[in-house]
Amino acid sequence: MRVYNTTCCTHSLFRFMPSSKLLGYSNSNNFHSVISPSFSKTKTKTPKFSSFISATMSTVSTDKNQTHTHPLQVAKRLEKFKTTIFTQMSMLAIKHGAINLGQGFPNFDGPDFVKEAAIQAIRDGNNQYARGYGVPDLNIAIAERFKKDTGLVVDPEKEITVTSGCTEAIAATVLGLINPGDEVIVFAPFYDSYEATLSMSGANVKGITLRPPDFALPIQELKSTISKNTRAILLNTPHNPTGKMFTREELNTIASLCIENDVLVFSDEVYDKLAFDMEHISIASLPGMFERTVTMNSLGKTFSLTGWKIGWAIAPPHLTWGVRQAHAFLTFATSNPMQWAAAVALRAPDSYYTELKRDYIEKRAILVEGLKAVGFKVFPSTGTYFVVVDHTPFGHENDVAFCEYLVKEVGVVAIPTSVFYLNPEDGKNLVRFTFCKDEGTLRAAVERMKEKLRK
Amino acid sequence: MRRVEQHKWDCKFFMFGNWNEWYLAQGYGGNATSFVQVRQQRQWQPPQRGWLKCNVDADFHNGETITSRGLCIRYDTGQLIYARGFSSLLLCNLVAKRLEKFRPTIFTQMSMLAIKHEAISLGQGCPNFDGPEFVKEAAIQAIRDGKNQYPRGYGVPDLNVAIAERFKKDTGLIVDPDNEVTVTTGCTEAIAATVLGLINPGDEVILFAPFYDSYNATLSMAGANIKSITLCPPDFAVPIEELKSNISKNTRAILINTPHNPTGKIFTREELNTIASLCIENDVLVFTDEVYDKLAFDMEHISIASLPGMFERTVTMNSLGKSFSLTGWKVGWAIAPPHLTWGLRLAHTFINFSTANPLQCGAVAALRAPDSYFVELKKDYIAKRAILVEGLKSVGFKVFPSNGTFFVLADHTPFGMENDVVFCKYLTKEIGVAAIPSSVFYFNPEEGKNLVRFAFCKDEETIKAAIERMKKKLKK
Repeated sequence: MRVYNTTCCTHSLFRFMPSSKLLGYSNSNNFHSVISPSFSKTKTKTPKFSSFISATMSTVSTDKNQTHTHPLQVAKRLEKFKTTIFTQMSMLAIKHGAINLGQGFPNFDGPDFVKEAAIQAIRDGNNQYARGYGVPDLNIAIAERFKKDTGLVVDPEKEITVTSGCTEAIAATVLGLINPGDEVIVFAPFYDSYEATLSMSGANVKGITLRPPDFALPIQELKSTISKNTRAILLNTPHNPTGKMFTREELNTIASLCIENDVLVFSDEVYDKLAFDMEHISIASLPGMFERTVTMNSLGKTFSLTGWKIGWAIAPPHLTWGVRQAHAFLTFATSNPMQWAAAVALRAPDSYYTELKRDYIEKRAILVEGLKAVGFKVFPSTGTYFVVVDHTPFGHENDVAFCEYLVKEVGVVAIPTSVFYLNPEDGKNLVRFTFCKDEGTLRAAVERMKEKLRK
Repeated sequence: MRRVEQHKWDCKFFMFGNWNEWYLAQGYGGNATSFVQVRQQRQWQPPQRGWLKCNVDADFHNGETITSRGLCIRYDTGQLIYARGFSSLLLCNLVAKRLEKFRPTIFTQMSMLAIKHEAISLGQGCPNFDGPEFVKEAAIQAIRDGKNQYPRGYGVPDLNVAIAERFKKDTGLIVDPDNEVTVTTGCTEAIAATVLGLINPGDEVILFAPFYDSYNATLSMAGANIKSITLCPPDFAVPIEELKSNISKNTRAILINTPHNPTGKIFTREELNTIASLCIENDVLVFTDEVYDKLAFDMEHISIASLPGMFERTVTMNSLGKSFSLTGWKVGWAIAPPHLTWGLRLAHTFINFSTANPLQCGAVAALRAPDSYFVELKKDYIAKRAILVEGLKSVGFKVFPSNGTFFVLADHTPFGMENDVVFCKYLTKEIGVAAIPSSVFYFNPEEGKNLVRFAFCKDEETIKAAIERMKKKLKK
C-alpha cells in the first residue's frame, strides 16, 4: 500500500494536531489530546500525550475482511494539514456541553424573507443545474450591491462568478490563477483554508505577521517582501480572526506596491457588512486596482445563513476566466434554489444592514466587557464578529492548552489562534472568541468564565 | 487574428478591430504609432499615442475567436490599464497552467447555443421536470426549522447515516457513516476532492474514454499522468488486453464510471472482476463514479467496492441529483475506507468546507424513499428511452444500445457532416434540437467525431417533439 504520510503509530485513537508545523514546539507538554478524534471508534476519554503525536486511525471492524489498519493516504500537497480546527472545536463543544464561542456561525437564524425566497424557489421548481457561473438574476443582484458599496460598475455576465461559499471562491481563484512556484503573500493570522489552498496550488507562500495590539500593517516588512517576483497578495478585510479593518492608508500602500510590482490581489471581504468602527473599503475601488483584484464575498455572514454556501468572486474578465475554469471542475455549479434566495437577500433595504450592525455592536459590547471583567487582555476589534484576546493572565502555556482547559473545566469554546499562523509561536498567547450568538448565550458564557476561570 | 509571442514582461502584439474604437498596436520598443482607446477606472479615455508595453505572463490562445475579453496592457508610464478588445481579438486571459488547455465546458456552450436558437435541448443531462414533492418538502422544512448554519464539514450526521443505509441496501456493504462517508457539493466535487486529495503530480491514472469532462480537467489540476483506454462501439466493452498492458505497479488509480456517461454502458460483472483482480495484483486504487446507479435498466448495477478485496482500495462516489431529478441541489458523497477518506476529506475541507445544510436534510428524506420510488423511476425512464431510441432510429441515426443512465449515443454520419461538432451546431441551428458532440469526452477528439449524445431525461412530449423536428428537417 502506498504511503503518503510517513508516520503511523499503534495508538488506537486519532489525536488532534493543529498542523504538523506545531511539532517544532520545544515544550513537551503542548500536545494534549484536546479533541474527540473524528476517526475514533471508541467512546473513552482520550488520554493525554506528552510527546510527539502522530495520526493514525482505529481498526475498522466491518464485514469487509479488513482486519488490519492501513496508513492514512493523502496527496503531498495536503500532507501537512489536518482536520480543520473549527470542526474539532465544535465537536468538542458538543462532547463537553460547552458554550460554543469558537466556530463562526450564529446560533440564531437568518431573516424570514430570505428563507421564504428559497422555499419559493424550491416550490417553483428551480431545482436543476444552475448556469455554472451563477443564476443570472443573482449575478445582477451582486453587481447592483457591489455598485452600491464601492461605486464600481461590473458586468454581471463577465465579471461575476457564483461559488459554493467564499471558501470555494478562494479555492477557485487560487487553483485557477496560481502556478506552482508562484510567490504569494498572506497576512498572518489567516483563515485556515488560505494556506491549504495555496499549498494545493504549489505556491511559494510568504507570510507577514500582523501583531497586537492594533495588528497594523508592517509597511517596511511588506516593502521588503514584495517584489516583481510576487504573483499575488491575499487580503482579508475586515480581518478574521483579529477583527482588524485595513485602513485607507494601508490599502493605498498595498495598492501602490501592487501596481509598481504588477501583483494581483485576492481580497476576501465576507465580513464587509460587519464593519463597525470604520468604513469598509474594497481595494478594488482604489485607482488602478480593479484590473488586478479578485474580490470575494458571500451570503452567509451577512445574512446569518452560513450553511447555505453561496459565495462569489468579482474580477475583471481576464482574471474571471481562470476563476471560472477552476470552479467548473471543482463544483461546476452552486445550489440553484439558494441562489434565487440570495438575489432577494442582496436587495435587502438599507435598514436590514443598519439593524445588523447595531445588533452586533451590542453583542460585541457584552462579550468585550465580559472578557475584560474576567481578566483577559482584549484587543480592539473593529469589524467581523470575532475578537482576539491574550489569555496569558491565566497561566497556561499556550493557546491550545488554554482552549482545552476552557472547554473541559469552564465549559466555553474558543479557537486557539496558533493554527492561523505560519509560525504557531506567533499565536500562542492569543485565542479567538466569536460574538455571533444571541445575547443570552454570550452572557451565560461570560458568567461561566467569571465563575470558574482563575488567574 | 495573429499569433502572438509570449514574453513575461514585454509583448509584441497586433490586434484587429474597428480602428475608430479600438487600437492597432505595434510592438514594444519601437516606433509608437498606436492609437489606443482604453478604459481606466471604468471611465473612457480619449485615444492616446504612446507605445505600449504589455505585461502578461499567460499563454495566448491562438487562432480562436473569443468575444468580449480583456487585455491588460501597461503604458510606458507604468500604470496598468484595462483595454477591452473587439470580437475576434486575441485574448490573454490569465489562467494557471494546470487549466490552460481547457475551455468553457461543452455543456455551457451548447446550452447557450440552444437558448439562442430556441432549440429543444436533449444535450445537458438535467431533467425538464421537477424532483419529488416529499424531498422538496423535507428541504423546505429544514429551512423553516433553522437548519441554516454550517453543518458538520463531512456531512449532516443523519445524511451520512442515510447514505450508509442506502449503500448497505444496494451493495450489502456495511460502512461507518462517520468515518467512511463524506458529503460533497455534488459528485463533481467528490471527484475533485478525491483526485486532489489522493493523487500526486506524476501519478499514473487510467481513464476510460469517453469520459465526463471534469475527470480530465481534475486529473490535470492534480498533475496526474493520464492514460486513456478507449471504449469502442458498438458495445463499448472494456478492451481487456489493452487494460492489462496499460496497468502496472506504477499505476496509482483507475477511474471508472458505471453506468457510463455518455455511452449508457453498464460494466458487467466479468469486466469488473477483471478490473478488480488487476487492481489487487498491482495495488491500484479505484475511483468509481456511480451517479446513475439507479438508472440501470437492462442489467444490474454492480459496485466494484463490493467485490472481494476491493472495498479497501475503492472510493465510491454518487449523488442525489440524477436519482431524484434535483440536479441543481448539488448534494453528493464519497464512500471509502478511512485511510482513503482521510485525503479526500482534507481536500473537501479546503475546496468547499461543507455542503448546503437544508438540502442535505432533503437528501435524507430522499435516500429513505421506498423501493416503489426507484421502481417507478426506472419504469418512467425506460419508457422515455424507448421513445427516443425508436425515434432516432426512424430519423436515420445508427443508435447504440444504452443499458443505463439517461443518455444514448448515436452515429450521425448518415447525415453527411464532417464531424460531431459541426453536426451538433447544424442540429441546433437548422433543426432546433440540441445534442452534445461526444469528441469532447475523448483525449483524441477524432475517436468521437462520429458520435453525438442525446439525453432522455425530459418529459415525453419534449422527446416526441424533438423527434418530430428531426424527422421533418433532418435529411440524409
